[in-house]
Amino acid sequence: MTTATIPIQKATLSRADFASDQTVRWCPGCGDYAILATMQKILPELGVPRENIVFISGIGCSSRFPYYMNTYGIHSIHGRAPTLATGLAITNPELSIWVITGDGDGLSIGGNHLLHALRRNVNLNIILFNNRIYGLTKGQYSPTSRLGAKTKSSPMGTIEHPINPIGIALAAEASFVARSLDSHTQHMGEVLKRAAAHRGSSFVEVYQNCVIFNPTEWDGLDDRRTRDDNILYLEHGQPMVFGKNRDRGIRLNGFTPEIVVLGDGVSEADLVVHDADSTELGYILSSMEYPTPMGVFRQVEDRPTYTDGLMEQIATAQAKRGRGNLDELYRAADLWTVVPQDPTEPIEAHISGRVGGEMDDEYTDMLTGQGKEADDSTSYGRAGTNLDIHGLKDRLTEVNVEALGTHAPVEVDTQTSLAKAIRQMNSHQIGCVLVTDETDRLVGIFTERDVLMRVAGLVDDLAAANVGAYMTADPVAVRADLPIAHALHLMALHGFRHLPLVDDDRRPVGHHLVPRRGALPAQWVVV
Amino acid sequence: MKSLKEELESEQVRHLDLSRYCAVQSGTPVREALATMRAEEGRPMLVIRGEELIGIFTERDVLQRVVGRPDALDGPVDAVMTARPITVLPDTSAADALWLMDDHHFRNLPVVDRQGRILGDMTYAAFVHYLAARYPVEVQNRPLRPQQYPSKPEGGD
Repeated sequence: MTTATIPIQKATLSRADFASDQTVRWCPGCGDYAILATMQKILPELGVPRENIVFISGIGCSSRFPYYMNTYGIHSIHGRAPTLATGLAITNPELSIWVITGDGDGLSIGGNHLLHALRRNVNLNIILFNNRIYGLTKGQYSPTSRLGAKTKSSPMGTIEHPINPIGIALAAEASFVARSLDSHTQHMGEVLKRAAAHRGSSFVEVYQNCVIFNPTEWDGLDDRRTRDDNILYLEHGQPMVFGKNRDRGIRLNGFTPEIVVLGDGVSEADLVVHDADSTELGYILSSMEYPTPMGVFRQVEDRPTYTDGLMEQIATAQAKRGRGNLDELYRAADLWTVVPQDPTEPIEAHISGRVGGEMDDEYTDMLTGQGKEADDSTSYGRAGTNLDIHGLKDRLTEVNVEALGTHAPVEVDTQTSLAKAIRQMNSHQIGCVLVTDETDRLVGIFTERDVLMRVAGLVDDLAAANVGAYMTADPVAVRADLPIAHALHLMALHGFRHLPLVDDDRRPVGHHLVPRRGALPAQWVVV
Repeated sequence: MKSLKEELESEQVRHLDLSRYCAVQSGTPVREALATMRAEEGRPMLVIRGEELIGIFTERDVLQRVVGRPDALDGPVDAVMTARPITVLPDTSAADALWLMDDHHFRNLPVVDRQGRILGDMTYAAFVHYLAARYPVEVQNRPLRPQQYPSKPEGGD
């Protein structure tokens, strides 16, 4: 039997390590937040050091992404992110490079650049946020907007057929092609992890909700009640069964997929089995609208990357002819000098026009309909303790965690023995104690998860070991005026069951924990 | 428009994610069961005999009955599990399952059909995920720190 005398240190990074200190300037409720949160959650699981991760974006709402990631990043030129990323991937093949683009940046302005990065099989992860609208420029149609979509720039409906991003990626020979959606963060997380693990050009289309200019685009798909009836989850080697009750499937009739109901002479054996190696099947799936396929359409693993091929050619050429000299090559051609002229007039004379300006009234109205002004910039928002607010969604954002009733914090210090801490938990019938330092500031939490992972069966003498060495250090702690929606967010994304409530000096004021009678999240919102 | 309560009454347990659990056979030594749970990142464990569910073993059981008792480690998991757990049917409404969890302070409800087949474990986390996906605009679309959320609707400061 072993006694863990050396405390187990958590060497891994967390979501917080990937979050920058910048205020996120997307509209409240924008789907980009969910993608950002999911990305920050999965990156620590990949085990790639932060200094080897780069986010490169073009222009658009989604392209603000690099500011919010605590990694290297370039907010680059409109549509040209794949190009910069290609150069970087060649220069430093060790990097994990993510290109963040949107339907406008990637398929309109940068359509060409996207195609060629994909077909070259550069080792990149290209994430295309598709909201089928130009959001940053306030609501003009994009290359993926549906035929007939009425937008600011198509008041009578667009007369252009939309681009099919998955079809484009397949046609451009991307070696990994997948789709997910912002509201299904677990699915998105899995797809992003598989894209990251793939060597070569990974293309992921993420259906993303523009809450201001195109909020109904993904109706049926982004609604938890109906999504499983409308989505076909692609799983390599599995028959294509779909539906909330898993009672329908896809059968091929010639080249045409048709929906069949299972039972009545139709069994799973009659259905198409998904094959991510098949380009032909990928094309068929790419044009399917109902049910909407989500997951990996195609994955080809045995293709060398662009960098591998290029480096091999350089090595071969150098072995034959030796290292070249760029300076010599440059000076070998005809050279001439352009003499600069003195400017005859001051440069300011060329600048005219008005800087800044008022927002147009229509837009202002649209925005004020969406949210309310905050009266106190230091508060988390507008959350209060009035539980009598009607409307479910309002309760989520306007009622705070404190109003749900909290447990008085059960505190120990870092020198407390494991034996005593566990006694405290068992006598209070709770799964967590808060660990504070000598100034009563929160420095850790010690939960039943820690007991399972690091103590039970691993530490023999509980009286001799201190909580400080086994706790989860620097836990996420929140203020008591946190909106319920944010508490749910932290629980859903991280699986937290304990939320220490602290004051501005990080001194515990309470402890929200579940389940405790009346504290299950559904009751927070069920009236 | 239906209230969330009505909605959860019409939503069945099998429509939630039931996949987050692990399983061991009855008689497995506690030490081995702990190692399996650790490898599965703390997922609750269903204890089965053949194909039949006979108990559940969770972090709470570890806290209350295992830690600090080295003698328990080499014994069977059966001695420290919660035997004959309350189960629900796949077509039990999500609302009923929720009230059941709340009444008993459970975080897990194994889902077993009328033939005794184990279909999964309905966890407290499955509800949280349901709610988050049901209200993505309010719940999912947020930054890590609440103070990073813009105070104005157009995303400015």
